[in-house]
Amino acid sequence: MKKRNRLIMGSAIGLASIAIAIDHTNHQLPEPEENSAYQQALDDDDESPCSMSSPCAMDDSPCSLDLSPCSLDD
Amino acid sequence: MDRKSQTSDLPVTLISLICIVALSLFLQNQFSLKQSLIFIIGICLGYTLLQAAYGFSGAWRDFIRKRKSRGFRSHIWLIALTSIIFFPLIGQALTDFSPSAALAPVGWSVAIGAFLFGIGMQLGSGCGSGTLYTVGGGHVNMLITLLFFIIGATIGSVHLGWWLSLPNLGKISSIDSFGWMPALILQLIILAGIYFLLTKLEYKKNSEVQRFIQAPSDKPLLNQFVFGPWPLWWAIVSLSLLNLLIMLLAGHAWSITFAFGLWGTKIWSALGGDISGWTYWANGYPANALNNSVLKDTTSLIDFGIITGAVLAAGLAGHFAPDKKISGRLMLVSVIGGLLLGYGARLAFGCNIGGLLAGMATGSLHGWLWLITGFTGAIAGVYLRVWLKLDKPFVPGS
Repeated sequence: MKKRNRLIMGSAIGLASIAIAIDHTNHQLPEPEENSAYQQALDDDDESPCSMSSPCAMDDSPCSLDLSPCSLDD
Repeated sequence: MDRKSQTSDLPVTLISLICIVALSLFLQNQFSLKQSLIFIIGICLGYTLLQAAYGFSGAWRDFIRKRKSRGFRSHIWLIALTSIIFFPLIGQALTDFSPSAALAPVGWSVAIGAFLFGIGMQLGSGCGSGTLYTVGGGHVNMLITLLFFIIGATIGSVHLGWWLSLPNLGKISSIDSFGWMPALILQLIILAGIYFLLTKLEYKKNSEVQRFIQAPSDKPLLNQFVFGPWPLWWAIVSLSLLNLLIMLLAGHAWSITFAFGLWGTKIWSALGGDISGWTYWANGYPANALNNSVLKDTTSLIDFGIITGAVLAAGLAGHFAPDKKISGRLMLVSVIGGLLLGYGARLAFGCNIGGLLAGMATGSLHGWLWLITGFTGAIAGVYLRVWLKLDKPFVPGS
C-alpha cells in the first residue's frame, strides 16, 4: 500500500512538473512595447518597491477582484 | 501529532533537495532573485506547516466536537502576531513602503464563499494551506481534494462576477477608518475576547484547558528542528515572519488559492476550452498571470514551495506517503470537499490564508466576515461528516 501511494504521488508530482515546463516554454515573455502607455507607467513607478513585476504594482495584485490576488483594486 | 522516532526517508529527502536547488537556480536565472526567494519562502512555509502539523480544519473540528481549543487558540495567536507586524506596514507608520492590504467587499460573495469553504474544509479534510502540505506529505486522498480544489476555484472565477453583483458594503478597512494604532488595539482586544471565550468553553466542557505551550520535548533542539515535530508556537512565529518576508518581497500578504484558479484556467485553455468569456481573466493581474509563465506568478511559486517543502519535511521525518487505504466514500467526499473549497475560496477572495488571515491581518472587515461565516460552515461540515459516516456521532454530555 505504501509503495503504491509513493508511486501515485511520484507520478502526480512528475506530471505536474511536465505541465509547468510546457506552460513555461509556451509563455515566453513578450518584449515591452516602446513608448506604450503601460511602459510609461512602469517607468514612472520604478522607485516603488512594488513596481515592475510585483502583483501589487500598477494596480495588479493576486488577491483582488480586477487587479490584485488579495484585494480589490489597490 | 504522535510521531514515533522514525528514520529519514533518504530517497525522498534527496529528490526534494535536488528539486529545490534546481528550481531555485532556474528561477534566478530565468526571472529574478526575487522569484527564487519567494519559492524558498514557500519551502519554509511547507516545512513549517508539516513539521508542526499546523492546519485549520482539524483544529476547528476538535473545538466543534470536543471543545478542545488549543489549535483554534493558536490561530488567534497567529492572527494577532501577524496583525502586529502588518498594521504598521499597511498604515505606512515605519517607512514609505506601501504594500497592498487584502481588501475585498463585505457582502454576500464573501459570506457564501467562506461558508462553502468551511463545509469543504471539513469534507475535504484540509484548508488551503493544509491541502498543500498534506499533498506534499504524500497523502493520496489529498491529491484528489487538491485536483477538485483547482476545478472549483476555476469555476468560481467564472461565476465571481455574478456573485459580486449581489449587495455588498464595499471594501472596509479599519486602518483607513481609525488609523493603524487604534485599529490594531481594537483588533487585539476583540481577539483577546475570542481567546478568552474559547478557553472558557473548553473548561466548561472538559473541566480543564489544554496548555498552549506544552512541556519541551526531550529531543535535542536541532534534532527537533530538522526532524520534527515542532511545537505550535514555533509554527506561529515562523508563519508570521515568513508572511512578513512575502509582504516585503511581493508587496502583498501570503495567498494561496489565486494560483489554483490560474492553473485550472491554463489547463482548460491548453485542452482547447474557450475562455474568451471569462471576464475575471481579462484584465489586470489575472490577465497578466494568465499570459505569462506560471513561474512568474508569486502565489504559484509559494504553492509549489509549500508542496516541495512539505515533501522535504516528510522525507526527513520519515513519513512520506503514509500507508492509508482510500475508500470509495472517502474519495467521493474528497471530490465534493475539494469543489466546495475551490469555489468558496474564489468567492471569498481567498482561503483561510488569503481571505481570513491576510484579510484580518491587513485590517479588512471582510476577514472578520470570513471568520464568522467560515466557522459556521465548518460546524455544518462537521455534522455532514457524521451524516456521511466519516465520523462517529456526537455523544451527548461527552
